[in-house]
Amino acid sequence: MTTAPQASALPRRPARIALNAGLVIFVVLYAAIAFIQPNYLEPGLFMNFLRRAAPLVILACGQLYVILTGGFDLSMGAVATLVVLAASILINGDPETTWAVIGALYVMGIAVGLVNGLVVAFLKVPSIIATLGAMLSVNGLALAWSGGAARGDLPENFRNLGRLVLRDVPFVGTLPLAVIVLLGFVAIAWWGLNGTVYGKRALVVGDNPRAAELAGTPVAATRILAFVVSAVSAVTAGILLGGFSGVSVNAGEGLELQAIAACVIGGAQLLGGRGSVWSAVFGALSLFALFTLLNLLGLPQALRDSIQGAILIAAVGATVWRGRRRA
Amino acid sequence: MTVEPALAMTGIRKAFPGVRALDAVDFECLPGEVHAICGENGAGKSTLMKILGGSYRPDAGEIRLAGRAVHFTHPRQAAEAGIAIIHQELSLLPHRTVAENIFMGREIAKRGMLDKAAMRDRAAGLLARVGADVDPQTLVSSLSIAVQQLVEIAKALLLDARILVMDEPTAALDERDSRTLLNLVRILRGEGVSIVYISHRMPEVTAIADRITVLKDGRRIWTRRTGEAPVGEIVRAMVGRDLKDFYPAPPSSAPGPVLLAVEEGANAYMRDIAFEVRTGEIVGVAGLEDSGKAALAQALVGDAPLTSGTVFLRGQPLALRTPRQATAAGIGYLPGDRKGEGLALRQSVRDNALLALRAIAGLFTRPEHGRLAPDAIDEKLRAMDVRAADFGQEIGTLSGGNQQKAIIARWLAQESDVLVFVEPTRGIDIAAKAAIYETMRRFADLGRGIVVVSSDMPELIGIADRIVVMHRGRMAGTVPRGAQEEDVMHLALGTSGAPEKEESP
Repeated sequence: MTTAPQASALPRRPARIALNAGLVIFVVLYAAIAFIQPNYLEPGLFMNFLRRAAPLVILACGQLYVILTGGFDLSMGAVATLVVLAASILINGDPETTWAVIGALYVMGIAVGLVNGLVVAFLKVPSIIATLGAMLSVNGLALAWSGGAARGDLPENFRNLGRLVLRDVPFVGTLPLAVIVLLGFVAIAWWGLNGTVYGKRALVVGDNPRAAELAGTPVAATRILAFVVSAVSAVTAGILLGGFSGVSVNAGEGLELQAIAACVIGGAQLLGGRGSVWSAVFGALSLFALFTLLNLLGLPQALRDSIQGAILIAAVGATVWRGRRRA
Repeated sequence: MTVEPALAMTGIRKAFPGVRALDAVDFECLPGEVHAICGENGAGKSTLMKILGGSYRPDAGEIRLAGRAVHFTHPRQAAEAGIAIIHQELSLLPHRTVAENIFMGREIAKRGMLDKAAMRDRAAGLLARVGADVDPQTLVSSLSIAVQQLVEIAKALLLDARILVMDEPTAALDERDSRTLLNLVRILRGEGVSIVYISHRMPEVTAIADRITVLKDGRRIWTRRTGEAPVGEIVRAMVGRDLKDFYPAPPSSAPGPVLLAVEEGANAYMRDIAFEVRTGEIVGVAGLEDSGKAALAQALVGDAPLTSGTVFLRGQPLALRTPRQATAAGIGYLPGDRKGEGLALRQSVRDNALLALRAIAGLFTRPEHGRLAPDAIDEKLRAMDVRAADFGQEIGTLSGGNQQKAIIARWLAQESDVLVFVEPTRGIDIAAKAAIYETMRRFADLGRGIVVVSSDMPELIGIADRIVVMHRGRMAGTVPRGAQEEDVMHLALGTSGAPEKEESP
């Protein structure tokens, strides 16, 4: 209250800065990539970059929903793994069943999201614990179901979702199917947050759930829906991953943390109340560009994790520090 | 008087931005004396005690303990100097044992190890001294509030406190426990402890205190021996204030039909509630902290629903089990804790004003269209005279008065019929207060009803058309517009009619 009267100077700026941060970081990193490997500027390689980044961007969009409402979803990597393993087991080499199985995968994912949401909203378990539990359970379930090792193979029509590249497309030359899925998912995620009242509700729930509740906001439903969206994104990403790299028991390992890091790099605020779809999209592209860059520089794969951890801490630290200076 | 006071505070001044909390206040307490401080909320009681306890530093003035000047920069120094403050909200750790709590931060160690046996024995001794019949090994969470209070006092005695400040110690206690506590106060006084006793309960104050000091608006009005201070005098000194033009004129027409009614309402905090609000009416609710007035507000907005009884809105019974139902039915809430419960501080002024509309709209409603359009809400915000450079700026950057007006705009936009205000002007400067009163009157004049729960007596007298006074969970009475503060106070304190009948120890 003491700082109140003189503070009318900064209308709306934080959100815009956040958006620009993600975009700027991405452009800088991609420029660095292009400096080392000039052919990354060709449309074909850029499309390929987007194709490989697609699962992370989609996961980040889903994760963003949960982050906006003030939570975390640590179970999405496990859901992606489950999707890959379940697809190979259920399809069992019969391409006829692919579409039915994909439907079943979404049902499974939505079920996990519902459980996460119900546990957080009604049992009041902190989301970091609830989804950590879900992550362990889903991972265990997937491993047990597959017998602990990757088994079977995915049919061509399933793998095409991640692998197929359309050729001779006007303007861009080549267009991977995964990029179309990516654009579609981002569009839906954007619509959910900006085309309906849901986005604003989510922001308020993340900012102050008590005030939201007292004004009549369906807080529990808002939270649950966020976890469902997050799980749906994990299923979608899992399907693309299955297409890229085939069946593997650690297909989705660590993706949940990458998705969280992506949102934070893009300017979404951990514990809720601030962020947009663009934070997730550009944050994820930045993170993926960074991985690509490290690869080109010849750094060992393992260092990726360390750098990702350092970035996560730095990004969160910067947000907290900014917040404290304003307070 | 030749006795050296155990505590002498002279010329204490303290200002906060925009408020002079204490203005040259003198206060002293002799050894073995119970000195009561009376005053309304905001009179400066707690600021004075926070200065004594080392939480605040005074801008000017001197504190002497047994003649020696002291300067506290940290609460720990005050504690070590023998000052113990027992707050209304107890500071015990619920999942620790009584002994662990008593020795918190001052554990007895033997060769670097905790000497649990010694602590248990000392604790048992202290507990016996305060008359608490409890095993030092019991978990605090399993004790009643009354016993916890005794444990808190035992903790103070461990430090050999010479000055014990008790802030509303009986607020949460029933009559029997209150009496036990008052007896303990007498015993401690007999042992030479100086006791500063803060309470709203007049019968208690007159029964226990040797002297009484009345504070008002940060000044000391007087200090008298209890025998020379009848309850009526104390209450008058607490409330006397002149702020007539500050409040909007009363409505020219009589209130309309009944808008909101509660019949036989009851829950864990209150009983026998029969209550109504008419169109165009502002109904005040007064009472002490624990009187159930806040519970009444929470029940009306579905936050802590009634467990029995019925609420009617325009004659229709209303299901009121969640805030969402209240919002949908047209009952809006302005919580007393504006930042904690009223606002999403990092969202824009506009987003906060749209909160209720968006909460009730269908999920797939397009934002920024129709009633949700920025222009539509900006109009409401301007109608409420919310001052901001840009309604897109974060609401946390606005002054308290403007924040409150934005919340009112929220309910205007939702076309609520009834608004429930709790402490509408707490922490708001004078000019904004007047603006909020004006706004409330205007809202009521539009044919809507307002319930305003407040602990600020002059505010209720000034703004309300009628004041319902609550006492210990029941409605003690209703006073009409134009009543005196004394009338309200007597009902709230339970001293109306035959004084001291109820609580004489």
